[in-house]
Amino acid sequence: MVSESPTQSPRFFGSRVKRVEDPRLLVGGGRFVDDIEKVGMLHASFVRSVEARARITRIDTSEAERMPGVVKVFTGSDFSGKEVRCVSAYDGFQVSAYPALADGEARFNGEALAMVIAEDPYQAEDAAERVIVDYEPLPAVVDAEKALLEDSPLVHEEWRSNAFVERKYKSAGFDDAIEKLPHAVSGRFVMARHSGIPLETRAAIGDYDTAGRMLTLWTTTQIPYLIRTGLADAIGLPENRVRVISPDVGGGFGVKGQLYPEELACSLASIDLGRPVKWVEDRREHLLASHHAREHTHEATVYFDDDGVVHALEARIVVNMGPYSVFPWTSTMDTGMAMGILPGPYKIKDYSVLGFPVATNKTPYGAYRGVSRPAACFTIERLMDQVARHRGLDPAEVRRRNYVTQADYPYTSAGGLVYDSGSMIESQELLLTETDYEGLRIWQEEARAEGRLIGIGLGAYTEQTAHATKEFVQRGVPIVFGYETSTLRLDPQGTLVISSSIHNHGQGLETTLAQMAADALGMDIADVRVDYGDTAQAAYGSGTFASRSAVLAGGAARRASEQLRDQLARVAAHNLEASPDDIEFADGRVFVKGSPEKGYGFGELCRIVYHRPELVPEGQQPILEATVAYDAPPGTGTFTNATQLAVVEVDPGTGGVEILRYAIVEDCGPMINPLIVEGQIFGGIAQGIGSALYEEFVYDDEGHLLTTTFMDYLLPGAPEVPPIEVFHLETPSPFTVSGIKGMGEGGAIAPGAVIAGAVEDAISTIGMVMVGEIPLTPERVRRYIDLAQEAASR
Amino acid sequence: MKVNGKETTREVDPRRLLVDFLRHDLQLTGTHVGCEHGVCGACTVLFDGETVRSCIMFAVQADGHEVETVESLADGPDDLHPIQVAFWENHGLQCGFCTPGMLMATKELLEENPDPAEEEIRIALAGNICRCTGYVHIVSAVRAAAAGMAAERMS
Amino acid sequence: MKPAPFEYHAPDTLADALDVLAQLGAEATPLAGGQSLAPLMNLRLARPLNIVDLNRIESLSSVRVEGDLLEVGALVRHSVMERSDDVYRAFPVGRVVAAFIGYPAIRHRGTVVGSIAHADPAAEWPCVALAFDAEITLARAGSTRTVPADGFFKTMLTTVREPDELITQVAFSTTFDSWGFHEFARRYGDFAVIAAAVAARVSDGIVTEARISLAGAGDRPMRLLGAEAVLTGRSLDGDSAVAVAQASVDLVEPLGDIHGSAGYRKDLVGVAVERAVVDAANRGG
Repeated sequence: MVSESPTQSPRFFGSRVKRVEDPRLLVGGGRFVDDIEKVGMLHASFVRSVEARARITRIDTSEAERMPGVVKVFTGSDFSGKEVRCVSAYDGFQVSAYPALADGEARFNGEALAMVIAEDPYQAEDAAERVIVDYEPLPAVVDAEKALLEDSPLVHEEWRSNAFVERKYKSAGFDDAIEKLPHAVSGRFVMARHSGIPLETRAAIGDYDTAGRMLTLWTTTQIPYLIRTGLADAIGLPENRVRVISPDVGGGFGVKGQLYPEELACSLASIDLGRPVKWVEDRREHLLASHHAREHTHEATVYFDDDGVVHALEARIVVNMGPYSVFPWTSTMDTGMAMGILPGPYKIKDYSVLGFPVATNKTPYGAYRGVSRPAACFTIERLMDQVARHRGLDPAEVRRRNYVTQADYPYTSAGGLVYDSGSMIESQELLLTETDYEGLRIWQEEARAEGRLIGIGLGAYTEQTAHATKEFVQRGVPIVFGYETSTLRLDPQGTLVISSSIHNHGQGLETTLAQMAADALGMDIADVRVDYGDTAQAAYGSGTFASRSAVLAGGAARRASEQLRDQLARVAAHNLEASPDDIEFADGRVFVKGSPEKGYGFGELCRIVYHRPELVPEGQQPILEATVAYDAPPGTGTFTNATQLAVVEVDPGTGGVEILRYAIVEDCGPMINPLIVEGQIFGGIAQGIGSALYEEFVYDDEGHLLTTTFMDYLLPGAPEVPPIEVFHLETPSPFTVSGIKGMGEGGAIAPGAVIAGAVEDAISTIGMVMVGEIPLTPERVRRYIDLAQEAASR
Repeated sequence: MKVNGKETTREVDPRRLLVDFLRHDLQLTGTHVGCEHGVCGACTVLFDGETVRSCIMFAVQADGHEVETVESLADGPDDLHPIQVAFWENHGLQCGFCTPGMLMATKELLEENPDPAEEEIRIALAGNICRCTGYVHIVSAVRAAAAGMAAERMS
Repeated sequence: MKPAPFEYHAPDTLADALDVLAQLGAEATPLAGGQSLAPLMNLRLARPLNIVDLNRIESLSSVRVEGDLLEVGALVRHSVMERSDDVYRAFPVGRVVAAFIGYPAIRHRGTVVGSIAHADPAAEWPCVALAFDAEITLARAGSTRTVPADGFFKTMLTTVREPDELITQVAFSTTFDSWGFHEFARRYGDFAVIAAAVAARVSDGIVTEARISLAGAGDRPMRLLGAEAVLTGRSLDGDSAVAVAQASVDLVEPLGDIHGSAGYRKDLVGVAVERAVVDAANRGG
């Protein structure tokens, strides 16, 4: 029954609509993978390597098999040859195979070696403890820079070095440019390994219907269609007999955007046993075996003139990738992206860069919000602050002199990215105005006179979003993530279902996609339902990552809604003896322009199409369905930008950092739902604060992970995240549907740089030291203070 | 024991965690498991009216006591508690996984402190980790809930 | 992470609990709040064969002033220390310290005695017990004994409690004229990286007796007798704070871990002690 619309047709694009998905989540009615029970379901517990690198000489499962409730124990030899491979097209890329269960060699602390299947999860865990594993430890490769040295052991003995690939680029004018430039500053920038840590751990249910020969995998994933293909390929099943369902998911952030061995293992176990097999990751496993991210070391130099304008950038980028190339990104993703975005939102003309994704015996490495951009932003922003110090300029002024300006767009950066539009200078100006930057600096002096260590930090970035075909071709990935797909179907009642290839795990896409489609049809979003996550529904797509869903799936939904509008208009026109161009959709009615009584109710018209095919014009199908796969032009993405500012106070005794104020000006183009945009910004900034001050995976020298609980890996809670001021500009993309851009990742990109800059500024009254490493744990800050004191006394 | 106002009797293994009992024995899947060591707050329920971590209690310890889970707040999606309404209107949730625990902690806070200041809210919710929202909208939601509940008391 | 199997006992009286412990000894672990024990059990770092759940024993919930002591029964929760006005009148430091412990859900279940029995060197109550001359009562079937806090903590997570004994109460001195407390933690509610407690008897503005104790500076909470000597005979002010802090740093050789290296913790000891003495000065008393 189509809702009764109020007199005015609601305009949904741009409004702070309450989210459609919230009621079920609020009443505890979300359906997450662990909430799902299947008849005859068994439970899995994995035995995981305690060593970072070892030959597995023996696995004795006999005692485990005899434990109460145990049905079977699988080891690597049972799943031999079932592995994830993801091969880059880059020259010289070295190939690795990521097995469902390690067979013969373990390559990271936490790698799954055996899988116990029992009637309940407690019994499975009891039995997993009774599996005896004999390890012959091998020298573990832990530090990425040491891994590149000649004498390092090789993670994969058949490789020529530990680099998955070696990338380099130098612009034609670089060597000449640096000869002529009078000044240079260099730095070493280290971002510790950390990751997205969603609140819901991973889970999977492999459910093989033996008689029907159909595998269904329920799994916590952001990329259901890619998982389906990857899984079918890896385990050798026909893809039309595989279905992947990702229901409600408790946060992804990229961590749930790879094909994992446990997904293969649960599928294989279910096929073998003919019963559903469920695995729910515990938090300790999550910290050990869900993919890590962000571990970058950059050595970089900027070359600049007397005015502080940077003309050349040189960098060496090393990323600690763990032993395997993950699907679907390959292990080249972070390095390649860092190389591309390192010049930042600046007009740096010449660029020379080396990039090394390095194999090590740490946990494999995947995507996490912003991917390499937080590390790249950290480096370039810290360097901009050093340029400011060198030239005696305010950090805001230096940036002003270097930003890409309106006149430059579209601007091809030194990294080869085409910035389609943006508002770097305008965003910074607005931020400085709204935060009364001049007033802040005055207050800072007063506070310093009282002996307080107060610092102000600034960070800017432009973020590539909704990049599709053209961009991914350049990245040498085996699957080019070129588009997303939305299938729209109206039913006889006139209610609409949008089936989309993206996934929704907090982004509000059930609401924003409905908003995108509803307006073209004059519909109320209450009559629109969005489906996702089940590969049986939409045609195909990649999933949710890279801040693309609103643009690509929303763009597809908008285009498809226009096609449906067209279909309906032709039926109406045919029966009203009017031209389709004269048909209007408003207030739940479809009518001839100027004569609202000459028309149909929206539902009435839909019912006519389906139940009265004789009234449908010849040549037109009596169904209301449209599928669009949308690849936003120009394919290299549309660029969002933002500037962030923080005011911090450093405790000289403890090294503790308190964030007194945090503000951002965000320009993501026209906002579909400003409430959702702000939620994404705040969430990203909070994770960025975690990156800047708290989060770190700590390993010992033998590659054992020491941070395996939430007592050791620290997440920011409500007291640690300050209130955040947000202001918006809306510079549309010249290329996309409605000019919209993506923005989900951005908040997380700058906080490392901003807070490091603020801490450096805070301790500058003691002495000059360059803060180049995060997280800024209190101990690290104390060390910087000591260094600042030493510098001052020299 | 009483669960959400209903007398309930079951036999359990001593080591069965309260959260597993609620989720899998009673099919009250609204309460979530995030860490199983008492840090993240996803498992927060009310035990004799006070918030506790159900992941570090054994189900057997609930014998003779009252447990309330998120399912007790509303009869269904059309009949939301004022706290739930406030979270909805203020975008106080994104993926929804921390939300049940957050709601129970909020309920306790507002019963003790009907008009909490921003800092008091952040401290009261310190034990409920959210990875999605950055807490800003959660704080707005709690303030709105306080106002909503005050209005209800007046009427 | 599910715990290993165990037998469960839920005695209704203290005498019954002591009988169970007498029978099972080292094979039994008492359970009060469970906020420290249950996580260890879920991680399978602790595998008690028997759990003796004390939560039905109402007599253990009592908290009362007896003469110069605040007697805190084994089931008294952190939240009672935080909220009770009677406790606050007799022992105001209790409210301040309890607010540092975790979050409301932890405080509703976790107990003062449980924290002392667990003896994590970074926990607050063991440190406070040392500063306030606490007396710890241990009962076994047929007898009880009382041990001063100063002799109670042996090493990491280990106390003088015998397997067949139960701590029934901890009694804090209520007669110190001045006190201060300072904790540095990574985040709100976390265990201390370093915490310092100061308690003093003061006469005509001069400290006649001092107690200075630390959490997080070693394998157990510790009193700094040398620093106490420095404070004795001085008044509670900023200069004394500096002097006491300098003395404290020389008295400790902390253990390092991922939350703080040995050298950093050593520095923090000075910072925490100085701030705790200043806190005492600011509180007057």
